[in-house]
Amino acid sequence: MLERFDKPFVEEILATVVRYGGDFAEVFVEDRYSTNIDLKNGKVEVAQTGRMFGIGIRGFLGDKAIYAYTNDLSKDNILSVARRVGEALGEVKLKDFSIDLRKAEFEDKHFVLLKPEQVKKETKVDYMKRAYESAKNYSPIIAQVVIRYWDYNQHILVANTEGIYATDNRVRTRLMINAVAMKDGQMESGFYGPGAAMGPEFLDRIDVEQAGIRAARIAVRMVDAQPAPAGKMTVVISNEFGGVIFHEAVGHALEASSVARGMSVFAGKLGQQVAAECVSAVDDATIPNAWGSANIDDEGTPTQRIKLIENGVLKGYMIDKLGSRRMGMPSTGSGRRQDYTFAPTSRMSNTFILPGDHHPEEIIASVEYGLYAKTMGGGSVNPATGEFNFAVNEGYLIENGKISKPVKGATLIGKGYEIIQKIEMVGNDVARGQGMCGSYSGSIPADVGQPTIKVREIIVGGRNA
Amino acid sequence: MTFEQFKEKIFALAKTHGVEAQISYSQNKNFQVRYQNGEMDQYTDAGKFKITLQLLKDGKIGMSYTETLDDPEKVFEDALSNISIIDTEDVEYFYDGKGEYLDIEPYDGSFERLSVKERISYVEKAHEEIRKSSDVINDMAVYGQQMNEMRLSNTLGLDVSYVSGGGFMYAMAVAKDTSPRSAVEFALGRTPIALDPVHVGTKARDEALALVGSQSVKSGKYRVILRSDVFSDILGLLISMISAENAQKNLSPLKGKIGEKIGSDVLSIKDLPYHPLSISSAPFDTQGVPTKEKTIIENGVFKTFLHNLKTAKKDGVEPTGNAMGTGIQPINLYVVPGSKSFDELLKTLDDGLVIIEIEGMHSGANPISGNFSLGAKAFRVEGGQITHGVEQITISGNFLEMIKNIEELGSDLRAFMGIINPSVLISTLDVAGNM
Repeated sequence: MLERFDKPFVEEILATVVRYGGDFAEVFVEDRYSTNIDLKNGKVEVAQTGRMFGIGIRGFLGDKAIYAYTNDLSKDNILSVARRVGEALGEVKLKDFSIDLRKAEFEDKHFVLLKPEQVKKETKVDYMKRAYESAKNYSPIIAQVVIRYWDYNQHILVANTEGIYATDNRVRTRLMINAVAMKDGQMESGFYGPGAAMGPEFLDRIDVEQAGIRAARIAVRMVDAQPAPAGKMTVVISNEFGGVIFHEAVGHALEASSVARGMSVFAGKLGQQVAAECVSAVDDATIPNAWGSANIDDEGTPTQRIKLIENGVLKGYMIDKLGSRRMGMPSTGSGRRQDYTFAPTSRMSNTFILPGDHHPEEIIASVEYGLYAKTMGGGSVNPATGEFNFAVNEGYLIENGKISKPVKGATLIGKGYEIIQKIEMVGNDVARGQGMCGSYSGSIPADVGQPTIKVREIIVGGRNA
Repeated sequence: MTFEQFKEKIFALAKTHGVEAQISYSQNKNFQVRYQNGEMDQYTDAGKFKITLQLLKDGKIGMSYTETLDDPEKVFEDALSNISIIDTEDVEYFYDGKGEYLDIEPYDGSFERLSVKERISYVEKAHEEIRKSSDVINDMAVYGQQMNEMRLSNTLGLDVSYVSGGGFMYAMAVAKDTSPRSAVEFALGRTPIALDPVHVGTKARDEALALVGSQSVKSGKYRVILRSDVFSDILGLLISMISAENAQKNLSPLKGKIGEKIGSDVLSIKDLPYHPLSISSAPFDTQGVPTKEKTIIENGVFKTFLHNLKTAKKDGVEPTGNAMGTGIQPINLYVVPGSKSFDELLKTLDDGLVIIEIEGMHSGANPISGNFSLGAKAFRVEGGQITHGVEQITISGNFLEMIKNIEELGSDLRAFMGIINPSVLISTLDVAGNM
């Protein structure tokens, strides 16, 4: 359905923006077909499929940006939206303008075996039921299991006055498992939500039974847990989704959206030692089929592996086109958006701390007393102050170098730029986990990741105050 | 194809296939501008529509949606094939629209009449106000407005529509300190007069400055005031607990507690279809059922769950007009205010903390158990006076235990998104700090 946006029409839209004001124009067209299925306690309760189809038009004048979107796709309406964008940018110029759009060619790094619509919904439900059965049967105290399935097939077209005319097709599939354990009136939940830039074949690549067990295990362990102790202590954060701490506490503050206007605590610090020497981290949207990967970003720029921190030294930021103008640095292919109803901005893709030398066991053995955060929940951060908070979904005490009893209700708080200076050991077990990251340009798939790390001290909020 | 033709086509297909059909049409207009440090950072002016189709057969609903009127057959087929994988025993219903609808004034579109210049003046004025202090190092201001036209029709005869909307603004100030201090303030309303950019800017700036020199506090139990904005965030937990659907699925700790005392004597909470401070009013819910006023908690006693058509039928009660998509929500959760001003609450608190910001509601709070552990900022109160800012603390507890400890409610009622409430004084809450 993107055919109606052929080069002559797209050129006309772009030219309209620039003719009325602005020195750059961009068009983003999206046709996306999604499927959502909810399985609650083994029964399908919600089944929904749908299509979103619309266009976003953006113009720049210097570093001022105006965005508009519509899904009334009549030519008259689109051109009038383009004109409004141009007019909002500045004085009417009515100059002649021509663009020579060149089709961008790039290698597709994210091979998809099956398109979501090629797999029957019944088949998707079968996988969900298998995950349900294994979670439910994990323990008699599992009281509830909710499984959510989500896939989409997104066709995009990006074009701009620099001559880019690119189309791409992105497919993603995710399974989200939430298990609740109940014992003596106490309820605790466990979550696991693997996903990838793949079609429904992803369900076959992972072990759905193990995925179910993983969510159930957390719920069962936590229902017997004691409240977490509170106070400042050494914290060992496990690999994979533990990387959410770096994502929130550091990653967001390295996005051009907070760096460009000097809002970030990391603004102006390139080349400076900002973290402990054992810390190196990247944002890499080129990993084949990873949840946060893409061939090109939502502004048509090819993605890359960005060195953020190397041996503790700040090496780079995640930069989109607007950030590029404001910072005088090239785009890193980090312009992302939830869908056409959001203007793109600088965002993370797959962001993770690189592996170090230590075995995870060795890291735990080095701690006399502290918290082992095995599974992290979500968190949030204020990029202006670096203040963050995270929930620990599965936690254990470490006593005399050994994992002792399970603890629940722990929250980690602190400031991102302080925490990364307090990382003392980095493990060799790097892994990534999947999440949805919410920020200015909406909610987007992003991988977080890290090896097991040890942080000298973090404030832990628990109920044993 | 027009929407009317699309609808007629769908309804005709429904008749042929022996199913009931319900179509919701929503047309949304949305404007937002954001400034950082006095410079435009983002500007969006947009509109879109969405059609959602639900087909009902043998008590099962299949859904599909679209943003183009091109292909009603495909939209119909999708919804029909979605019915075939539904295997829950839950029975779904459509509403025939025969009930009494409250006469709720629709949004008059007053923000739509503002010029772009007038809209931008809100963020410019807030920015100027914040920058009256040279100790402010960063600031951000956002202005937005939206208008949503919603129409809901089905093959049982329901055909209702409503226009909602309003405007909002938000400002953040960051003050210089050994580590930067930030504070935010916002305003929302159905008419432009409800937004005072100078007030919003002043509040954000003064609070950021007041936080300079913040320290942590000793861990322990404190008397606290949850300021209205903080209490509003925490009330999100109650919204999940009063859903009849969650109760029926054993996911609410309030299950089986109707008529029991669950909160302090001074606590009364209602659901209101309309409140002048709110931009979330509506005469019908997303199933077309009329909304109505109801008491959820009265002097601490739990009175009712909120229902949609399905949960009401299951419990053998009347639907309460609280369907929200596939879930259940209050229209305006309204906490009945007390008589003391915020300053009088401070005096009554005497010695404790005023919690002014919490972080992590989506991750550190569990609506199934009611347990929460959240990062927070506060002011230390001694002798009824604010003495200094407090950072790097967490507050934790259980929502249901906490509402038993509400000692007083303020008279400082404010509207947030779908929640209207005052500040509350809580006699004891666990606070963890690093001292």
